[in-house]
Amino acid sequence: MPELTLTLRHRRAGAPLRELGDYERAGGYAALKRALANLEADEVLYQLHRSGLRGRGGAGFPMGRKASFLPKDAPLRKYLVCNADESEPGTFKDREIMEMDPFELLEGMALAGYAIGAQRGYIYIRGEYNHHAEVLASAIVQARRGGYLGEEIARSRYSFDITLYRGAGAYICGEETALLESLEGKRGQPRLKPPFPAVAGLYASPTLINNVETLASVPTIIERGADWYAALGTEKSPGTKVFSVSGHVLRPGNYEVVLGETTLRELVFEMAGGLRPGRRFKACWPGGSSVPVLAEQHLDTPLDYESLNAAGTFLGSGGCIVMDDSGCIVRASLRLAHFYRHESCGKCTPCREGTGWLERILQRMVDGEGRMEDLALLEALFGRIGGKCLCALADGAVAPIQSALRLFRDEFVRVVEEGSPRPEPMVEAAVAAGA
Amino acid sequence: MTAAEIRTHIDPMRPEFADQRSLILPALRFAQREKGYLTLDDLEAVAEATDLTPAYVEGVATFYDRLYLRPVGRWVLSVCVTLPCMLRGCDELIDHLCDRLGVPPGGTTEDGLFTLQEAQCLGACDRAPAIQVNAEDMLGPTTPEEADRLLERLREAPAPDAYVR
Repeated sequence: MPELTLTLRHRRAGAPLRELGDYERAGGYAALKRALANLEADEVLYQLHRSGLRGRGGAGFPMGRKASFLPKDAPLRKYLVCNADESEPGTFKDREIMEMDPFELLEGMALAGYAIGAQRGYIYIRGEYNHHAEVLASAIVQARRGGYLGEEIARSRYSFDITLYRGAGAYICGEETALLESLEGKRGQPRLKPPFPAVAGLYASPTLINNVETLASVPTIIERGADWYAALGTEKSPGTKVFSVSGHVLRPGNYEVVLGETTLRELVFEMAGGLRPGRRFKACWPGGSSVPVLAEQHLDTPLDYESLNAAGTFLGSGGCIVMDDSGCIVRASLRLAHFYRHESCGKCTPCREGTGWLERILQRMVDGEGRMEDLALLEALFGRIGGKCLCALADGAVAPIQSALRLFRDEFVRVVEEGSPRPEPMVEAAVAAGA
Repeated sequence: MTAAEIRTHIDPMRPEFADQRSLILPALRFAQREKGYLTLDDLEAVAEATDLTPAYVEGVATFYDRLYLRPVGRWVLSVCVTLPCMLRGCDELIDHLCDRLGVPPGGTTEDGLFTLQEAQCLGACDRAPAIQVNAEDMLGPTTPEEADRLLERLREAPAPDAYVR
């Protein structure tokens, strides 16, 4: 199936939409103006609910439902927070949205803010995205000047402004409660839930937190109508989703597709250009590095939440990492284990200690010093790490390794016996292909 | 950097935060712009400007990878080492840079020009293997030859006006 670019609006326009005038000419801010003139806040909330839009950051929780958890009559201020801490290995969709369609995010935030009755929104952007933060900062200034942020926006009685807040390098700050801690000026460590942020979030106030892509999808939903949006895709996976494809493919990049209409095979072999000549597909982490890995027999899985669940994995962030038969699954698992050990915040013992164990065991296997008992040791560890912590980081560390051991057990055995030689790099082939 | 200088940066932001503790990261990031890393004096200045204790400020600062509590080079080269970049040759790239610069990952060259470090996913997997200079936009795909040209360019370049890491 072809791409359908709704959220990656600049691709339809054929140029970056970093100037307010360009965004308006591409249909931008029509949704906000119409909503503020004609719709009550509850009606906007209802549209979000009815659209079925699910959180695009990784968890896939329905946005409208999440927003409806905010207490209606609380005396406290309400906040909207945009999670722009995109750090999941293999994921770079929010980067493109913020760099190319910054106003779409700002408009989506104004609409979501109106729906929940927030007057202030925060964009928490990872420190490494400095260039993208500058693009957003310029867009915020332009939006204020154009009357789309600040007092009584778009000639309505609704006031809403946005603060850009920069992180300083920590994957865990993409976890929503760790993000709130960081935004409150603390070390970015997750909180015990409940209470959930909808009840006690930023500064203990009711807070809605959504990912960049989720919020950037909102203007299209309000503009075209929730029913139109919900009719795209499947019943449980409506709308479009941006997949970031990376690894051993010839055309890595972002591809926006209608959920359920495209298979993993089409994404990898048609959109992303397939593999180098003579290479064979081996493995794929379809939703970022924290999801169970898939193998060749899963290539015909449609890309939507329920089909990927049925295949034993998650849609996650849509960061699709592809590995061909030149790659070693144990070496790949080790690299992921290293990441989670480095990024564990250290608050929960099973994660702090367990991610280190995973890395050390896999390291000795790759070094040719593994023991057959290590396979059983890994299996015993999975259940002692996963599901035992305050946040999902440890689950994300376990899932890709546990699934790899299940699907590629023979290779683990071989690596224990022989070690894992370093594979050839791909960069020259990639450059030759113009990637 | 002095507490007064930090205050001129964070004071205009105060109304945007219900709790002033939120100013700590903007203050730390701003203080780091001067030298590219933070000294104990800087941490004390941040503490004074934000009405927090130096111990608290240090506790927060140590949590974040991009706040440096030791001197680093004029150009911090962050080479992404996560899986998508590994599949496209980041291990060869970092070996090459170690060789050229004569430092291990995490090391700083004797002339103080370069710090080489491993980065955890830069969000530039479509440009893998990706590399970031300070907090500039990510570069890639980076071949060893391109890495050599990058080093050459940075050796000739004037020091940045501010160190954004």
